[in-house]
Amino acid sequence: MAHGAVHAGLGFACGYPGTPSTEVLETLASLGAGSHAALQAQWCINEKVALETGIGAALAGKRTLVTMKHVGLNVAADPFMTLTLTGVNAGLVVLSADDPGMHSSQNEQDNRAYAKFAKVPLLEPSDSQEAYDFLAEALALSEEFDTPVVLRTTTRVAHARGTVLERPPIAVPQRDFQRDIAKYVMVPGYARARNRRALERLSRLRARAETTPLNFIEAGTADYGIITSGVAYQYAREAFPKAWFLKLGMSFPLPQEKVAALYASVSKVAVVEELDPFLEEQVRALGVPVIGKEFIPADGELNQEIVHEALAAVFDAPTAHRQRRRPVPLPQLKAQTPAPAADLPVRPPVLCAGCPHRAVFAMLRKRKVVAMGDIGCYTLGALEPLLALDTCLNMGASVGMMAGMNAALGRKAAVAVIGDSTFFHSGVSALIDARYNESDGLVIVLDNRTTAMTGHQGHPGTGVHLDRSQGPDLDIERLCAGIGVRCQTVDAFDTAAVEAALKDELAAPGLGVLVARAPCVLQAKPSGVRVVVDAERCTLCGLCLDLGCPALAVDSHSVRITDECTGCGVCVAVCKRGALKVAEVVSGEERHSGDAS
Amino acid sequence: MSASTTVALVGVGGQGILLASVLLANAALAEGYAVKASEVKGMAQRGGSVLASVRFGRQIFSPIGPRADVVIATELLEGRRALDLLRRDGAVVSATTRLAPGVVLRGERTYPDDLHAAALARGLHVLLVDAEELARQAGTLRAANVALLGAASTVLPLSEEAWHVALERILPERILQINRRAFDLGRDAVRRDAVTAEEVWE
Repeated sequence: MAHGAVHAGLGFACGYPGTPSTEVLETLASLGAGSHAALQAQWCINEKVALETGIGAALAGKRTLVTMKHVGLNVAADPFMTLTLTGVNAGLVVLSADDPGMHSSQNEQDNRAYAKFAKVPLLEPSDSQEAYDFLAEALALSEEFDTPVVLRTTTRVAHARGTVLERPPIAVPQRDFQRDIAKYVMVPGYARARNRRALERLSRLRARAETTPLNFIEAGTADYGIITSGVAYQYAREAFPKAWFLKLGMSFPLPQEKVAALYASVSKVAVVEELDPFLEEQVRALGVPVIGKEFIPADGELNQEIVHEALAAVFDAPTAHRQRRRPVPLPQLKAQTPAPAADLPVRPPVLCAGCPHRAVFAMLRKRKVVAMGDIGCYTLGALEPLLALDTCLNMGASVGMMAGMNAALGRKAAVAVIGDSTFFHSGVSALIDARYNESDGLVIVLDNRTTAMTGHQGHPGTGVHLDRSQGPDLDIERLCAGIGVRCQTVDAFDTAAVEAALKDELAAPGLGVLVARAPCVLQAKPSGVRVVVDAERCTLCGLCLDLGCPALAVDSHSVRITDECTGCGVCVAVCKRGALKVAEVVSGEERHSGDAS
Repeated sequence: MSASTTVALVGVGGQGILLASVLLANAALAEGYAVKASEVKGMAQRGGSVLASVRFGRQIFSPIGPRADVVIATELLEGRRALDLLRRDGAVVSATTRLAPGVVLRGERTYPDDLHAAALARGLHVLLVDAEELARQAGTLRAANVALLGAASTVLPLSEEAWHVALERILPERILQINRRAFDLGRDAVRRDAVTAEEVWE
């Protein structure tokens, strides 16, 4: 997609990292884009600011791409829903990378609904070639219709590999920004007129959906047809090679004439789509019978086997004579039946050995407080055996949830646990609100100096840009001073200091911030030390094992330290027998697991 | 071999699964096949299970296959877990590397050592390779994934030349030789070890 955008004359790109969208901007950076490059590209503080920045660039006349994961568009929904009224000047594409199956997300919302909601075109590539090609299509469509375009991928398109035929790059002259107050100032009087334009644009887009080569019918030999979009097309194509297909690359607005043409060719039509009955409901609204979500699961990812099992019997059954007068009942949404897991030891992701978050969790667990969690690596602190967090909802939610619970209970019952990148993303505004509303609470910022979960992107706290150039960094303590909230910083590995600070803060009145700082272990220098066990003293009491550190294992009579140990010493601090201590590494043996890349 | 071949690559985050899948995909390309691949990362990175899939054949639509013809596992437990992904009569090629997950480290569960028996009981072909030892012989433990690919290459319908084209195309010059050596050692280990090879080719 990055290549496709560059070859289509992209001039500006920004976003906020989130799986599975992150690699698009990172690939742009590898192609030479950056803060001060001819093709400007940057990480922003959050998706809302990213979209607003992208809108500014598009108004200035540069073809623009804004990237985010599906839940990011919730954050950016405010500018998005009014951008549909103002239009864009130069092409502006919002890439929404959805995650059916929730491989690394807190929900699996189907963002196609946003395109319909905002009355803007929706493009859904179904493989790598289309992902490349559709960037150019989307940018051109955006300019032609003066509308943002949603380009929606899913994990099997975003994290897929396939052969791609490159097109010759095109040069797009930069457009001028023309002052047009009635177009760009959305006060009610102007917005009403723009809204009428958006409705009129929608009918023109409907006509385009009928003629665009992105939507096409593939003739089959069977007496059934399938309407489908995105990667679901690939699954259905493989499951039913004899079927007719209406393949929708531009899946909103729905091309009604093409749907009618498919119905004229076959006696049964099914809609195959992942997640919501988005296409199905629109087909249904045309008043025709359709096979869909009563057979095909409305959750998780599909594959060719699921599609085949869902539809084979329905397609083979003799055609039922439908009573056209009676309304067809809406389908019950069917959920997938998870395959019974083999009784094997599970291997969930864990906090790394030497992770600076572990010490804070170990000390926090001793306190009787509700820990409002947030989104990042540290969310793993909620899993066995740490069990150190009580909630995880959305980016930045911890601070407001803490404030609300403490207000409702009238005491410091809850603390917020939030990473540095998430704090800047949307924790800051909630902290300002907590100060304004005189909330009680403690915000613990786990400051590992990076956005670790998505692959170590920079953020305002580190000042590191997408292209790894160094910009100005922002000091959380001084920020808090400006807001008027007391703030102290401790070394995240200094368990005694973390414990003392927690104790002080939980006893102190009002609102406080505790920054626990230490660089992510994946970016830290080798320590040259590791923990050793005094087997005589170890009673296998399990206190250290409860840290969930992959460097600690049970041996026959004592714990054992694995090669992953970085000597961070958190286990030494929790051991009550004095059985663990940090020592210099004696042998320079190669680490156990290796990545040959 | 049917019209398409589906390979699932499994292991633990950090073991080089994604690179192995890219090498396999490029070997299939070099052989002249259509190829699609897909992987799940994100949360999987922090020491969790990782799954990548590569499909190749004359024409490929779906990037994932519900049933794999071959499983390539960089770790024994993950290989054991992936038996459920295999079609009947499929083959699992697993490294003998053991990485204990948290529940085993903490003594809550024992590490299951029954990959070989479980695979045979299901009528699957199984090939176990000490990929780390082969990689050490080649010169770096980090090439264990490539040594494993060398072993797996004996059960995949791709020529030795195609594999070497892929290695050359993907790997940077400074680590190319060492990985070529690891690949060859993996491939030769299967040929030498007649007992295991017979199980695969029977």
